Amino acid sequence: MDDENILEFKHVTKQFPGVVALDDVTFDIRRGEIHGICGENGAGKSTLVKVLSGVYPYGTYEGTVIYDGEELKLGQSSIQEAIKKGIAIVYQELTLVPTRTVGENVYLGKEPVEHGRIIWDKVYADTRAILTKYQLNVDPRAVVNNLGVGKMQMVEIAKALSENAKILILDEPTSALSRAEVERLMEILRTLQQNGITCIYISHRLEEFFLITDRVTVMRDGKVVTTQSTKNVIQSDLVKYMVGREMKERFPKGNRKPGDVVFEVESLEAVDPNNPNRKILNGVGFNVRRGEILGIAGLMGSGRTELVTTLFGEYGIISKGKIKMNGQEIKPKSAREAINAGLSLVPEDRKKMGLILIETILRNISLPNLDQFSKFFRINSNAELQASLQQAKSLTIKTPSLEVLTETLSGGNQQKVVISKWLLSKPEVLIMDDPTRGIDVGAKFEIYKLMNDLAEKGVAIVMISSDLEEVLGMSDRVMVMCRGFSTATLPAAEADKERIMALATGVPVA
Amino acid sequence: MNVSTTTVDTKAESLWTRFFQSVRRNIQSYILLVAVAVIWAIFFFWTNGSYLDPQNISNLFRQMCVTSFLSIGMVLVIVTGSIDLSVGKLAGFVSVVVAYLQFYVWFKLFPGQVVLPAILSVICGLLVGLLAGVIQGYIIAYLGLPAFIVTLGGMWLFNGLLLLVTQGKTIAANQPVFSDIAQGYIPSMWGWAIFALIVLALLWNVFSGRRSKQKYNFTPRPLYLDLLTVGIVAVLIFAYLYSVNNYKGIPVPVLLLAIAAILMAYAANNTRFGRYTYAIGGNRDAARFSGVSIKGTLFRVFVLMGFLCGVAGIVLASYVGYGTIAAGTGYELDAIAATILGGTSPLGGVGTIHGALIGALIIASLTTGLQMMNVQPSWQYVVKAIILVAAVYVDVYFKQHR
Repeated sequence: MDDENILEFKHVTKQFPGVVALDDVTFDIRRGEIHGICGENGAGKSTLVKVLSGVYPYGTYEGTVIYDGEELKLGQSSIQEAIKKGIAIVYQELTLVPTRTVGENVYLGKEPVEHGRIIWDKVYADTRAILTKYQLNVDPRAVVNNLGVGKMQMVEIAKALSENAKILILDEPTSALSRAEVERLMEILRTLQQNGITCIYISHRLEEFFLITDRVTVMRDGKVVTTQSTKNVIQSDLVKYMVGREMKERFPKGNRKPGDVVFEVESLEAVDPNNPNRKILNGVGFNVRRGEILGIAGLMGSGRTELVTTLFGEYGIISKGKIKMNGQEIKPKSAREAINAGLSLVPEDRKKMGLILIETILRNISLPNLDQFSKFFRINSNAELQASLQQAKSLTIKTPSLEVLTETLSGGNQQKVVISKWLLSKPEVLIMDDPTRGIDVGAKFEIYKLMNDLAEKGVAIVMISSDLEEVLGMSDRVMVMCRGFSTATLPAAEADKERIMALATGVPVA
Repeated sequence: MNVSTTTVDTKAESLWTRFFQSVRRNIQSYILLVAVAVIWAIFFFWTNGSYLDPQNISNLFRQMCVTSFLSIGMVLVIVTGSIDLSVGKLAGFVSVVVAYLQFYVWFKLFPGQVVLPAILSVICGLLVGLLAGVIQGYIIAYLGLPAFIVTLGGMWLFNGLLLLVTQGKTIAANQPVFSDIAQGYIPSMWGWAIFALIVLALLWNVFSGRRSKQKYNFTPRPLYLDLLTVGIVAVLIFAYLYSVNNYKGIPVPVLLLAIAAILMAYAANNTRFGRYTYAIGGNRDAARFSGVSIKGTLFRVFVLMGFLCGVAGIVLASYVGYGTIAAGTGYELDAIAATILGGTSPLGGVGTIHGALIGALIIASLTTGLQMMNVQPSWQYVVKAIILVAAVYVDVYFKQHR
């Protein structure tokens, strides 16, 4: 029994203030299988991976993890320990050094050394050996920057395998890959399986499980809902297990009547400010009406975040096209100009771009709005407090006081602080980039309700989301982006997952 | 931690709870004050009491002035995550320019006058500092060059200009009125008048603050707490005043420093500009995305710093009585040390004006004490180094183990 399983989770629980990330998780992974794990954002998949990889060492969670017959007790240098034990992870965000070659990346930190000098020939020979063994078609001397995402991923896998991995965990491996690259990845995984390596495959793309996995585990709210043999389930079963309630219940009913067009983007093209030869937007056009929620769907890398940061004046340089607010053209060259024009942006990464973590809730909420409370040189701190309190109350931010530092808040509450900040500036158009990412289910629902309320009041909302069900459940219309283009804008009635996916992947719709 | 729906902590919690909360929030400042008290106590014993005699206290506060002007400007520089290495030599340069004007220029243009030249020197000194701040600020904020390199270059530049102006000679700057700027005293009567003014100002502040809170339907703190705070501050100022009035009165530069510090603290705490500096230091990207003008704020920070260097340079010239070729050497490091000792984080985003003042006071207290005990300058450096690093360690330790 022990031999059959390479990995066993027994009653693993991990808590954070306000959130139970893993709740009595118990399941196992058999040797040599390809085991899929799926679940919504916040279901616990990443936490599980962090327990295995050593980010959360032994002692920071309850329960037992048994790896290769022994209890896994990762200590101080836990991440390196995990790697040495043969636990390898390929993350969604690639961890390669782009300016160095494949070989240098694969052997980074473990270069073979003789008399204090690196033996480069051995590095490249060994790299070639791994690449050949697992049929990864990459030139070991190529510079990583020049490779496509698919090949970069192969390098990541090679890097993992160079440590004699016994178990390879892939976290959302296909979000940036083309169809052809996905198929190649599948072949690679099969080769790995033939070589006795176990794979854990975490993905949102449920259809892929049926191409490659032997078994699938579904997680929801930190719990394991079920583990099934892939042969015995179909996609809609997985969806049901993942969501736990009918999709209709996940999203509150909206009661709004969209009005006139308030914001328009016409044939927008933009370039990377650091590299004017690189186009980040190839032609985007859409509009939003007052009181409407426009969803923007698309795969990772399709340019959605680039679009909104450009609209906000803080990233791309516009080379062609127009942006119009209330019929008048605007050319925001900074966030301040965008804000003055009536735009707000709830950014994708709230910790990096949305909040000042070492500051209090109060000072975060008031920051873009200080002009409202200031006369001459003086900030009226009472007016500031009153307005901020009002916002915090109407968004039900759970905190004993506004003097609390935002870094101590849960993800959901942090996001609410970001949203409060923008609501206080009374925007005409509120752009939200993946607003419910990494937030627990309860808080997500609150944010959905909030969006409905705002739309009812006449705010135009543009919502980017990687969660197709969220896009479908909340939007009045859906615009789909693909490789820097906007493909089409569908009314909600005509939008379904297949059509959106087809548009997002560039496959012509029948 | 029990989470509840949002409330503002205006309910009358027990007095002790609120006292402890306030202590915890300002624990750093309190620890610093305790440190000052401890240092004073130690030197008091080691010097058989002469350490705390009125003349010494007077000199102590006067001695810390030049570095303090630099430190209070440095707070906002470091809070934004930047640095200014040129402050020492800029102050030095200003001091020799002012000395040059005082010695060679004004008496020719306005023979027989003393007040007018002093005023003109002050204006020129401030302008030089301002100009330097504008230039460095522009290069750093708008051209985007790293502050470390730009101000390092600035330091060398001002040093060179300083040597050019002095031509290797020492220039006398001890003319009447001008030398009063750093060597003069406020007569006791005026001193007490100022004290009365301060107490009145504090009381007015308390009551207008309470009125404003009520206007917004916030419950103000219990009145006796507010009055108690005013009382404690008044007692401290009274103690200081009594002590210095036993010698010759408040030294003029100390008064100037107090005014500058109050203005800087107001800027840091009550203006949008101040808020933006903390925001930039806390998370530059988030500040940008919140509409803060990074360039504008950084520029202003360096202009302000330049201006304060001008002030420091004028006081320096007046204090020493000469423009010397070594003027300002190493002052930037003292300023940075005082700022960080006072609780400003080297990473930015955190720091207070009053903390920097206490930091400067600690360093000055140590220096004076060691001098009084005839400790060799070399050992003074060693002691100050140990204390600085130890203090920062304690600070980091407390922050990690809240």
